[in-house]
Amino acid sequence: MNKLIELKNVKKTYVIGEQKFNALDGINLSINQGEFVVILGPSGAGKSTLLNLLGGMDKATSGDIFIGENNIARYSDKELTRYRANDVGFIFQFYNIMPTLTVEENVNLIKDVTNTSKDSKEILKSVGLLKHVDKFPQELSGGEQQRVSIARAIMKNPKVLLCDEPTGALDSKTGVEVLKLLRKQSDEDTTVIIVTHNALIADIADRVIRIKNGQVEENVLNKHPKNIDEVKW
Amino acid sequence: MLKRKMFRDIRKNLSQFITIFLMIMIGIMAYAGIESYMDGMTKTADKFYSENNLQDLNVLGYLNHDDLKEIKKIDNVKNAELKLSVSATTDKDRILLLNFIESNNISKFYVYEGVEFDENKSGIWLDNFYCEENDIKIGDTVLVKYGSMELYEKVLGKINVPDHLYDTRDESELYPDRKEFGFAYMSTNEITEDYIKSLVMKKSNISDEKTFEMLMPNFDYKEYIPFSSIMIDVKNNNKRDNVKNAVEDKIENAKAIINIEDTSSYMAYQGEIDEGKTYVGVFSGIFLFIAMLSVITTMTRVVKNQRTQIGTLKALGFSNNKILLHYIEYGLYISIFASMVGLTLGYFVIGNTFVNLEMKFFEIPNGSPSMNVSSYYISVIVILIVAVITYITGRSILKENPAETLRTKIPSIKGNTLNITKKGFFKKLSFSTKWNIRDILRNKIRTFMGLAGVVGCAALIVCALGMFDSMNFFVKLQFEDLYNFDYKLNLKENLADDELKILYDKYGSNTSQSLGIEIRNKDGKRESNNIFVTDANNYVRFVDNKNKIKDKPSDDGIYVTYKLAQTKGYKLGDKITWHIYGDNNYYTSKIIGFNKDPQNQNVSMTRKYLESLEIKYKPDALYTNIDLSETKKIKNIETIQNIESLKEGMTSMLSMMKTMLILIIGIAVILGSVIIYNLGILSYTEKQYQFSTLKVLGFKDEQIENIFIKQNNWIAIISIIIGLPGGFYLTDFLFKTAIEEHYDFGAWISVKTYIISAVGTFIISYIVSKFLSRKIKKIDMVSSLKGNE
Repeated sequence: MNKLIELKNVKKTYVIGEQKFNALDGINLSINQGEFVVILGPSGAGKSTLLNLLGGMDKATSGDIFIGENNIARYSDKELTRYRANDVGFIFQFYNIMPTLTVEENVNLIKDVTNTSKDSKEILKSVGLLKHVDKFPQELSGGEQQRVSIARAIMKNPKVLLCDEPTGALDSKTGVEVLKLLRKQSDEDTTVIIVTHNALIADIADRVIRIKNGQVEENVLNKHPKNIDEVKW
Repeated sequence: MLKRKMFRDIRKNLSQFITIFLMIMIGIMAYAGIESYMDGMTKTADKFYSENNLQDLNVLGYLNHDDLKEIKKIDNVKNAELKLSVSATTDKDRILLLNFIESNNISKFYVYEGVEFDENKSGIWLDNFYCEENDIKIGDTVLVKYGSMELYEKVLGKINVPDHLYDTRDESELYPDRKEFGFAYMSTNEITEDYIKSLVMKKSNISDEKTFEMLMPNFDYKEYIPFSSIMIDVKNNNKRDNVKNAVEDKIENAKAIINIEDTSSYMAYQGEIDEGKTYVGVFSGIFLFIAMLSVITTMTRVVKNQRTQIGTLKALGFSNNKILLHYIEYGLYISIFASMVGLTLGYFVIGNTFVNLEMKFFEIPNGSPSMNVSSYYISVIVILIVAVITYITGRSILKENPAETLRTKIPSIKGNTLNITKKGFFKKLSFSTKWNIRDILRNKIRTFMGLAGVVGCAALIVCALGMFDSMNFFVKLQFEDLYNFDYKLNLKENLADDELKILYDKYGSNTSQSLGIEIRNKDGKRESNNIFVTDANNYVRFVDNKNKIKDKPSDDGIYVTYKLAQTKGYKLGDKITWHIYGDNNYYTSKIIGFNKDPQNQNVSMTRKYLESLEIKYKPDALYTNIDLSETKKIKNIETIQNIESLKEGMTSMLSMMKTMLILIIGIAVILGSVIIYNLGILSYTEKQYQFSTLKVLGFKDEQIENIFIKQNNWIAIISIIIGLPGGFYLTDFLFKTAIEEHYDFGAWISVKTYIISAVGTFIISYIVSKFLSRKIKKIDMVSSLKGNE
C-alpha cells in the first residue's frame, strides 16, 4: 500500500494567557492510501486538533505534515484553501450542512470550489438520498442529514475523508448505516480517518491510533477488521 | 457577580453595544436638538415679546393726538402710543425705516449699547445689525434724509425692537439686506417745525408764510405731526376684537387695524417656528423611528445569543425575575447613558447651532435653545422600549425548560417559505444567489429593518438635496419666469400724472400697483390680503399650475392664486367681496382664473378691470430693462431694485438653509451607516458558522465575501428604489405643509440629486459591507465550528 499521510514531529501549542498548552506534542505517524483509520483517545488528548491539522483547518506550530509528497504544514492560507477544496472531505458530528440549501444543492455546492467533482445524482443514489433531493435539511432525520454531509464530502472525490465523531449524534442503527457508507469509501481507495470516543468502532478499522496527552500512545494495524454487522453496538 | 458577567458580555460584544449606544444617541440627539431649537426660538421670542411689551394691534392711518386719546379711552386698552414711520435715506443712499415716537413703553427697545429711549434726548437709536454691518459706533453721527429734512444725528443706542425682528425693503425681497436697509428710532422732537409747517401749508393750499402765521398764530407743530400708526397694548387678548371694532367705530382716521400676528415681522418669525415644528415631527420622527427599529432588532439578537447562558443560570437556580432583571440591565445602562449624551449633544450642538443661525437672520436678543420636556419623555420612552423588548425576548426564552434552553436553538426554517425558491427559474440561479434569497426569506425582520434604515437614509438625502433643488427651481420661476425685468423702480407715493409721464417716457410704462384689501368671507369674517394690479404687460407674467407661462390676463374679473383658492375653497366663477383699506366701498368680483405664485397668495387683476370698478389706478412700481447699473438715484423713485440683487437675497436665504440641510444629510448618513453596520454585524454573526463551513469546504475568502456583500447590495439597491420616490414625497410634504402659508412651493428634484443620493447611499452601504467582510478573512474555522456545536 502507498503511504498517503506522514506526520513528522508535529506540535501544536495553544497559548492561553501566560499558559502554554501542547495539544499535540511531537506526533509522528503515517497512514496509507485507502486505509480505514480510527483515532481514539480521551477528551483533550488532541484527536480533534490532529484532524484539524490534517484537514488544513489549522496550522501546526512546528513539524511536517505530508499528504502525498506535499508538506501542508508549510502551506500558505491560499494553498490550504486549495487543499481543502480539492483533497479533503469533512464530516462533522453535527453535520454542518447549509440549512437554506436543499439536499441536492448542498451536494452541488462543491461544484463552486472544485472542477473534479462527481455526479451529484450518482452520489446521492449511493448514499440513499435520491428521493430526498429537493428537501431542506430540517425535513430530514439526523442520519439522513449525516448522509448529506457524507455525500457532500465525497462529491469532490477527496484523497482523505476526515470524520469528527460522525456517529456521535446518531442512534446506533443509523450510526451503523453511516459507518457502512464510510467503509465503502475506504474500500473504493479513499483514505477515511475517524476521530471518535467510541472504542467499538476500532474493531472495524484497518488501523487504530490511540492518542494521549498529545502523543501517539499506540499505532496498530488491525489484521482482521470485523465486518460492521458483526460488531455488537 | 452577574454585574461582572454583564460588563464582560458587553465588552465581548462591544461593537453591537456601541451601535446600540450610537443609534439611541443619534436618534435622541436629533429629536432633542430640533425640539430645543424650536422651543428655544419660541421661548426666546415669547420672552422678548413679553418683556419688551410687543403691541397687540397696529392702527394704521393718518393719526393724531386726539385719536390717541380716544383709543386710550376704549375699554380693555391698556396703553397706546403714536408712531410715525417713514422711509428715509442716509448719506450713502442706504434706506432706513425711520420711526418717530414720543414714548417707548410699547415695543420697548432692547439696548445692546448706549442709552434707553428718552424723548428729550437728541439723537438716533439704530438697528443693531445695521450698525454692525456698517461699522457704526455709539457717538458716531449719521445723516438721515427724509422729504425736506436733513438731520445729522448722534447715535445714542444700538437696539432691537420686538416688532422689527425681520424687515425687508419690500415683499419682493426675501432676505433682509442689513447693510443697505435697517430701522431707526428718533424722538418726535427731532422732527423740524419747518418740515411739519410745509406739510400743513401744502395740505391747506397756503403758499406764503405770512398768510400761514396769520391763519394759525398759535401753531404747535407737534399737534400736526402726521403719525402713521398707533400701537395698542390690550389688557385681555381674548377681547381684542372688541377693541378692533371700537377703533373702527370711533377713529375716523384709522384706515386699517391689524393684529400683530398679521404683521410681516411677526409672521416671518412665527412661520419659521411653524415650519420647524413640521421638521421636528418629520425629521426627528424618522431619525428616531429608524434608530429604534435597529435598536430593537439588535437587543433581541443580543438576548437570543445569550440563550444557553440563560439556560445555565436557570439550571443553577436563578429565579426568572433575577435573570430578566439581569438582561434588562444590559440595555438599561446603555440606553440611559446614550439618552443623556443625546440630550446634551442635541441641546448644545444642534439646538445651539440652529438657534445661532436663526439669530443671524432675525433681530432678537439672547437667542438660546430650550430643552423641551417632550425630549425627556421621549428619552424615557426609548429607555422603556429597550427594557420591554429585552424583557419580552428574555421571557420567551425562559418559558422553555432549562434542558431545552441549554441546547443551541437550531434556526427554524419553514419549508413552505422557501419552497418557491426550489422551482422554475430559481433552480438556475447560482448558489450564492439562492443562498442569499433564502437567507432573506428566513430573516424577514432583520431584512426589513435593514431596508427601513437604508430607505430612510436614501429618502433623507434626496429630501435634503431636493429641498435645495426645489428652492433653486423657484428662484428661477420667480426671478426669470414671473419677473421678466431687470429693474424694479419703486415709485414715490401720490405722483402727479405729469411726473409719471416723465418716468414713462424714459423707462417705459410697464407698471403695477399693490393694494391692501380686506376680503369679506361668506361667514362674515374679514381677512387681510392684497391685490396686485398689473399694467406691466410682459414684464410681470403669470404661470399656471404646471409652471407654464400663461397668456395675457383678461380684463373682466380677478385671478386668484392656486394655493389661496385651495385654502379658501374658491372655484372658477365664484365671487369675492372686498374693500381697499381706507375706503369703505365694497366690491364684488368674479374669479376668472387661477395663477401660481411661489411667494404671495393673493388676488390679481388688470389695470383695466380696476378702472372698470371706478377705482383710480395709482402705480407704485415701474419695471424696466434699461440698464441702470450706474444709476444711484432717480427723481420720484424711492428705490431702484436690481433683479440680480433680489435673486441674491433668495440665494442668501438658501445658503442658510444649506447649513441645516447639511446637518440633516450628516445625521442621515451617520445613522444609515450605523444601521447598515449594525445589521451587517448581526447578519455576519448569524452566518459565521455557515461561512466557516464554506471555508472548510474550500471556498476562497473572496467567494465568501461576495456572498456576504451580495445580500447587502441587494438591500441597498431595493432601498434606493424605494427611497428615491420616498424622498420626493417627503420633500413635497415638507414644502406643502411646513412652509409658511403665503408660499406655494412643491418638490422639484433634479436627476442629478437622484443620482447623487442613489450612488451616495450605495457607496455608504458598499463601504460598510466591505469593511465588515474583512472579518471573513479572520474566521477561525476550528473555534467557530466548535462554537456552533
